[in-house]
This record gives sequence, C-alpha cells and structure tokens, in this order.
Amino acid sequence: MSQMHDLNFFVKLALAFAVMAVAWLVPGWRFGVPFAVLCVLVLWAIGVPGLRGYVKGALLLTAMVMASWLVNLFFQGVGIGDALPVAAAMAARLIATTAAFYFVMETSSPGSILAAASAARLPPIATLVLSLTFGIIPMLRDDFERIADAQRARGMEVDDVALPTKLRFALARGVPLLVQAIRMAHAISFSLAIYGFDLKRNRTTWRNVGLMVEPRFPWKDTNDET
Amino acid sequence: MLNIANLNLGFGGPAQVVAEATCSVADGQRLLICGAAGSGKTTFLNAAAGLIPRLLAIPYFSGDVTLRGRPVSTIAKDELFSTVGFVSQNVEDQLWDLSVEDAIAFPMENRGIDKEKIRARLEELIDGLRLAPLLGRRVLTLSGGERRMVAIAAALASNPALLVLDEPTTGLDPQARERLSRTLREAAASVSALLVSEQDPASLRSVVDTIVLLKERRLSAPYRRDDILPLERPWLEAGILPPNRTRSQRKPANPGAVLLEISGLTTRLARSDGKPVLRDVGFQIRAGEAVALIGRNGAGKTTLFKSILGLARIASGSILLDGADADGWTAARRARKVAYVPQNMRHILFNMTVIGEVVFSITASTATTADKAVADRAAAMLARYGLSGLAQANPFALSARQLALLGLACADAAGAPVAIVDEPLLARDVEGRRMLDIFLSSMLDSGRAVMLISHDLELVDDVATRLMILDDGGIAFDGAVMDGWKSPTFAALGWAEPYATPKLGGVA
Repeated sequence: MSQMHDLNFFVKLALAFAVMAVAWLVPGWRFGVPFAVLCVLVLWAIGVPGLRGYVKGALLLTAMVMASWLVNLFFQGVGIGDALPVAAAMAARLIATTAAFYFVMETSSPGSILAAASAARLPPIATLVLSLTFGIIPMLRDDFERIADAQRARGMEVDDVALPTKLRFALARGVPLLVQAIRMAHAISFSLAIYGFDLKRNRTTWRNVGLMVEPRFPWKDTNDET
Repeated sequence: MLNIANLNLGFGGPAQVVAEATCSVADGQRLLICGAAGSGKTTFLNAAAGLIPRLLAIPYFSGDVTLRGRPVSTIAKDELFSTVGFVSQNVEDQLWDLSVEDAIAFPMENRGIDKEKIRARLEELIDGLRLAPLLGRRVLTLSGGERRMVAIAAALASNPALLVLDEPTTGLDPQARERLSRTLREAAASVSALLVSEQDPASLRSVVDTIVLLKERRLSAPYRRDDILPLERPWLEAGILPPNRTRSQRKPANPGAVLLEISGLTTRLARSDGKPVLRDVGFQIRAGEAVALIGRNGAGKTTLFKSILGLARIASGSILLDGADADGWTAARRARKVAYVPQNMRHILFNMTVIGEVVFSITASTATTADKAVADRAAAMLARYGLSGLAQANPFALSARQLALLGLACADAAGAPVAIVDEPLLARDVEGRRMLDIFLSSMLDSGRAVMLISHDLELVDDVATRLMILDDGGIAFDGAVMDGWKSPTFAALGWAEPYATPKLGGVA
C-alpha cells in the first residue's frame, strides 16, 4: 500500500479533490461520519507518516467545529437534538477533507512535486509555487520539532509539565520558528539563484514520471566501500 | 579566469573585513586562501564568486572583480552562476528539503538538461563521491559531512568553469576528504579553475598548487604550495596552526569518578538493511577525562549523543548519569547533566540575545533573570570566551566562530558534569585552539568531563586523554590515544595516523 505514496502528485491531488467533493455531497451525518472514519482508516492502512499527530489534530478540530456549530445553532433557536446531527455532519466533512489533503502533503516531497510539475511542462512559477505550498508545512513542522528538541537539549522541561505550561512553551517556539522560516526562505531563494532556476525556462527532471513518480535513483552498488 | 583588484569589503563597522585585496586565479590554477576563523575568508569568497553584491548586499564594497575579463556585476545571473559553482561554508544556506539525488540534479534540471544526461551525470557524481548509501534520504536529515558532500556534488553537477568552495572539508572524515580531493583532481578536465578556502592548509594539499594567506584583512602574495607548507612562521603570523607542526606534549590523565555510563545501548533507529544504527554500545566517562569519539561520516555518532540525551529512542540499554539511573528521565533532565555543543550552534539557539542564551543555560527555564549571581556568572562566561561586547547581539547575527565560542560559553555556564562537543571547528587556528584549551581546562579542572566528537585527528591527538572508535554499530576501540592509532580498528578505517607523516606538498 505504500506504493500509493509514489503516485504522481497530480493524481493524488485529483483524488483529494474527489474525496472532498464526496464528503461535501453526501447527505447528512449518517453517511458523512462513516465516510470520514473511512478516510482516516485509509490513511492508517497506507502507512501515512505522522498519523498519530494528525488524529490528535483531527479530534481537536472535531471538538472545535461541533462546539462552534452547536453554539451558533443554539442562538438561532435550534434544539440540541436537531443541532447535533448538523454539527457532526459539518465536522465529518472537514475531517474527510483534511485527511485527503494530509495524505497529499505527507506523501509528496518537494522533489516529487517538482518532478511531476516539470514532467507536465508546467511554467516554472507554477512548479515552484506548488512544491513550496505543499512542501513548506512539513518543513515548518520539522523545524518546530527541532526547536522543541533544542529546548530539551538545553535542559528546558517541555515534557514533564502540565498541559497549560506545555502549551505556553509551544507558543514560545513561535519566535524562533519565525526566525527559522526566514532562514529557510533565504536558503530556498539562494539555492534557486545559484542553481540556475529561471522563470523563463522550463525545467526537466531526472525522474521517470507517469502515473507513478520514481521515488529514488536506482543504484546497483558493486563498489560500496562501507 | 578571475581577477580581483583593490577589493574592499565592509559591513559598516569601523574596520573593513577585507582591505585592498588583489589576486587572480588563472585557467588551470588551484588557489587556496588560508586564514584564521573570522579573518574574512567567507566574505572574500562571496565577493570572488559574485554573490556579493549580486545576491548579498553589503554596506561597503569597492574594487574590481572580473571573470574572463568582464566585471561580474555586468554578467547576467544565469550566466554567472553557470560559470561559477559555489559551496557555502554553511551548506544549510543553500540546501532545502530535497532528497539527495534531487539536490544534486537540481542545477541541471533548472537549466533544462535532458533526463538521460542528468541521470548519467548523477551516476558519475554518486559513484565518484560514494554517495550511493545516501540515495533517497532527505538532505536535511544527513550528518554535516554528508550534507557537504551532497552540496559539492551539486556544485560540480553543471561542470562550472570556476569552482569556489568555502571550507569544503569541514565535517568530513579523512576518507571523505580523500574522496573529495580525488574528485577535485579528476574534475580538472572540466573545471578550469578552483578557488578554495580552508583553515587547515593540509586538508587539500594534493589538490591546490598556490596558497594565499589572509591576515589582518589583507591577502599575502601567492606562495607555491611546496614552498610554504614546510614553513612555520607565515602560518603563525596568520594565526593558523602550522601544517607541519609536530606532536605536542600530552597531559597526563587523572580520571576520577564515573560521570556517564552507557551499557548495552541498542537504538531503534535502523539502517536500510534493518540493523540498528548502534548495537550493544557500552562505555564510561570519568571526571577529568577528555574522551575523543571518532568514526566515519554516518557511523552513528550523532545517534549516540541523541540517545544519551534521550532525543533518540533506544530499544534496550541503560544510562547512568552522575551515578543515578537516568533511564526514566526526560531529555531535559538528562540535558542538565550532559551539555551539548553541536557543530552548528544555530540548531540549539532560540533566545533573542547572546547573554540570554547563557542565562538560559544556567537557569534551563528563562533567558532573563533578576538573580545577580546568575547574571554575574553569565557575564563572566561571556568575558571568558571573548564575547562580552556581543552580550546584547542576536545570536543568529553571529559569525560561525562567535557561535562556536557561544556554544562553549553555554556549555561551561550550564555546569553539567559532562559536555559533548561535536566537531569544534574553531580549534583549527591559534586563537580558536586557545579558547578550546580554556574550555577544556575549565571543565576538567573542575572535576567535569568532555566527550569530543571530531574528524580532526591532530586535535584529538593534542587534547584527548582517551580515544573511542565507533565502527560497525559499536565501540570498536576504547583505550589510550596512542594505542588507538596503532589498533587494527583504526587501521581498518584506512585513515592516516596524525603526526605520523610530514605534511609536505605532493599528492596524498
């Protein structure tokens, strides 16, 4: 099932949009909730990395969406019995949608997106925007984790503390994360400049691209010294 | 090929970084710029490669830099960076979240080269630099030395006419340095000229033919490699440890109580063949010891210290810190017993001032303090490592050398019984070595210990009281330094023993 990870980025994107369309078209919570659960189960079955973190976020999202809809409908005079299915259906749509795009984001490296876009002969600006749009969030999340590890490595207790303290420390990572994001942007623009990225010239790719994108360079090593 | 005349560079401070620099690199020439850390090598190379002022603004720039007779400021960026290949001292400045093969192919893909040609060139570079074990990995997950090899491969990929490398051997093990030297020699057919900076003049002696020293902001006249390498005075005057120096007197070790004890450590992190990166690792570090850990790039040195700190999960094994069982401790609690100084300090900085970083090292909770004792201790540490004038500076604005000194100040200030120092690059020049000696004395004389991870075998020989060799997932040698150099384990690495052969010119 992990071969799903190597699907062409545009195929993944089409699948994600299809899932989103189904999620928003199915009537009510009776279909919506099982469909959302199915989407999350598919993520698990195909081994999407970081699923535990996604599930935590999805549960938080569910709670927030349901709470906001229940309050909203309450003020409009809708009873709890009628409001609950509406809120559940809305949360289910969002879970299915986020699950679909989480799959795209987590299984598409900037390199594989560049390859798919270059093979499709997209204009360089579109290639760059797509790879950065889908690649930047995992990069920032990795940096967020790295800063947390830096805090731990410097003796700052971010694990064995109460949840409010944990949240406060997480928020305190915002400033270094911002600094890191600026550095990352600089590194990307610097590498684009010195490695010849040109908006007027279409890129090529070393990868074989079709329905699937070649995940790594094939190598039959006969001289590996290690 | 490249002509530089009366080049002056400054960042707006009272003194210029580079003054009246004049030099040239002819077709076929391999020029090495040598200077102490902070001497202005990086700024000079940035200007020589056209990065200054084309990509990087600088407050003060005057003089002429011409490439094949044309001022670099008039050459279109695309043409300029097709002609000049560049590898930064801090390779993270030019790498982002691509896989190894993506990063190497990136310059060729951007220039619209055919797929088959890219694949053929990839194969050449991967084979030449022995990068096959890294294929498929994200460059940002590689060790420092591995990243550098990937960046060098990317710079070579488009066959530039002029290759500019800023301290390319940083973080490379001796075998990787030899691979790099061989690749650079082989690249002579396509790369017309090479301009490279290093602190260690011996590391690329088989590649370069001319050496220029950068001292007191000025370039010396060019020396023929074989003329200057045996000398001592020019190097010392430039603040660099002479390449032909002899072994220094070893301080006697006087180990005390066990501060760190690892037993049976096996990591969860595994290699592509399924074997754990570290298997059944065990050793002790005692008070008053400076224990050096050496091993190939990718041997697992980073994984080892991450496991000690609790940042990498282990499958089995136990860790005793200062006599206490640390197995159930959080990473932060362990870190208060083990201070860590990484190769790139930017990885562990997150406060907004230099003094704030030192205060944080002492308090482990805040970068500001009303406690006079803490403030005084932080100020004293900055003074000890020559950073008092930068107390209110943002750490991310510091030079590589200043960051390394801040790392030592933080580790010293933390008061942890053990400090792990990963590749202290500042130790390659006279002043940097003096600072490292101050750090080692402060640690060892106060009953603490240092674990030094380095590929600089002469540094290891100079300062270590014990040697450990990490190979094939375990500690393959643990004993006296001199015994280590003679051991079969060291012989199996294929590295030259430090100080064993005179480092005169000639192909290594």
